[in-house]
Amino acid sequence: MTIITQTAAASPALAKSIEAVDPAYRQIRDLVYKVSGIYKSEEKLYLLADGCGRRMKQLGARTPRDYWDQLTAQPGRDGELRHLLNEITIGETCLFRSQPQLDALRKVILPEIVAEKTKQVTKRLRIWSAGCSTGEESYTLAMNMLEESAKLLQGWTVEIIATDLNDHSIETAKAGIYGDYALRNTSEFYKRKYFATIDEKKLQVLPAVKKLISFSRINLQDDSKMLFMKGMDLIFCCNVLIYFDGVSKSKVINHFFSNLNFGGYFFLGTSESLMKLNEQFHLVHFPGTIAYWKPSLKSGKL
Amino acid sequence: MSPSAAATIRDRVQQIETMPAIPAVFLPLMKLLGSSGEDVKLDEVVRLVSYDSNIAGQCLRVAASPLYGLAKPPESIKAAVLTLGLRRVETMLLTCCLGQAFPAAKWVLDPAVFWRHSLGCAMVCRKFSERLATADVEKAYMAGLLHDLGFMVNCIAFSREFAVAMERACQQEIPLSEAEQATMGFTHCETGQALAESWKLADDVVEVIAHHHAVEQSRKARPLVALVHLSDLLCRMRGLGYGYYERHMVDLMADPAWAILLQEHRELAGVDLVRFTFELDEAVGEIHALVGTIFGTLAPA
Repeated sequence: MTIITQTAAASPALAKSIEAVDPAYRQIRDLVYKVSGIYKSEEKLYLLADGCGRRMKQLGARTPRDYWDQLTAQPGRDGELRHLLNEITIGETCLFRSQPQLDALRKVILPEIVAEKTKQVTKRLRIWSAGCSTGEESYTLAMNMLEESAKLLQGWTVEIIATDLNDHSIETAKAGIYGDYALRNTSEFYKRKYFATIDEKKLQVLPAVKKLISFSRINLQDDSKMLFMKGMDLIFCCNVLIYFDGVSKSKVINHFFSNLNFGGYFFLGTSESLMKLNEQFHLVHFPGTIAYWKPSLKSGKL
Repeated sequence: MSPSAAATIRDRVQQIETMPAIPAVFLPLMKLLGSSGEDVKLDEVVRLVSYDSNIAGQCLRVAASPLYGLAKPPESIKAAVLTLGLRRVETMLLTCCLGQAFPAAKWVLDPAVFWRHSLGCAMVCRKFSERLATADVEKAYMAGLLHDLGFMVNCIAFSREFAVAMERACQQEIPLSEAEQATMGFTHCETGQALAESWKLADDVVEVIAHHHAVEQSRKARPLVALVHLSDLLCRMRGLGYGYYERHMVDLMADPAWAILLQEHRELAGVDLVRFTFELDEAVGEIHALVGTIFGTLAPA
């Protein structure tokens, strides 16, 4: 019996998922996936249920079934879906949000790009954080690249282009001031090395990190601007395309494909899918994370 | 592989054969798993297991775990079969038997890690084949469960050599089979094949054990070998690997195994691999808990 108790105690997520979930939530999960590409796994279904709960309270929907009706049958359902997407992705913004993505970047992708570009005269790495919001992802990338600057990236120039549609977000991003919640995944090592203390609750990113990043406003649906974003080695676009309809999404993704160098990678949010909207990208797996790859010319897989 | 390595493998596998630990019910149970006819199987499974109180006890302990959410834990194997379903009980039995056959005291590979990978691969094989109209789901499950049998052989019969391979794999973060080849000159595929052949496992399962890292080399049951190969890769990419980081990018759809499987099962083209991956993550917690319950190891927090 001891073993059984230990097992249950050691797996709270499992215990939570075992608790009966209203089947309507699974229907909502499937709808959200179909429309946005965001997938809430069984273990995280309670997060979806929490998000729905908050929306239901606002709308006065009594049961998940009522809410399902509002999401599907009522006029204004697109707007409601947007609200729900906001609810279920809002807590995901923080520095060091996805360690598996960073591991893939530093352990697998960078060595490969460095090897590929080693014969080029200018050793330059260009990373685009598309839909950078308040800057958490951009700074995380910058700090990780700085960590590599004495190792793999010695003698390299790293350029991080961070763009967003929202001017207010960009201003917040430029300031680079974060509180406990945004820093919840940031280790003491990084906090000490790359941040200055503002007050007991807030830290600010040091200028050495900011130097790597240029923040600007870009609308991903502005074709003329998108055409100029050339020569990217990596593009990160997390939880942004989920709000786009199929046609716009597909257009943006095609742009991303051309914006990338051969052998470049495109990362979405950790539970987000490209939904087969582009057949040229190869879906690739790294430990704990997936990405989309624009095959290198050498690979002959184009 | 050199002829002398092949002879060494044969000798050491023979030593395993004479180990007294293999439960008497194991081989008949393996045979039963390959057969069809649910009614016959139920009685036969119950009869077989009643010979071995150890195995029966372990199986009932698993059945009583919160995973199955039973109001009242089953009191007999028959009751367990009736409440949990024959297939689930068979899997438990097989796993318990294997666990007992290879006492895990001095394993180079953490036995909990090994079992998570094997059960994980079995589960992915099942989920994959459920999406393919003509695939044999039970066969796929069993092939997934047994594909890395060779690691058990290595742990028991080549522990010193395998320890070197394991250390190299962890240090260089490379696939374990590459490290085995580089340091031992052969891999778990060969050692597993030797044991599987001497146990007279079904031909297609032997083929999976022998060629799941080089599908092109398989001569028989290629779609099954391809299925296990892809499931194995997917497990290693989603937290059910060998317990260390593999510096590895996997392009499943460009893998020759994908084309082989697609040729046999056209509906593979319609599988949403991203969603499939996310769904697999859902089962990782379940696998941890199952292994914890069977082998008394704690699942990580």
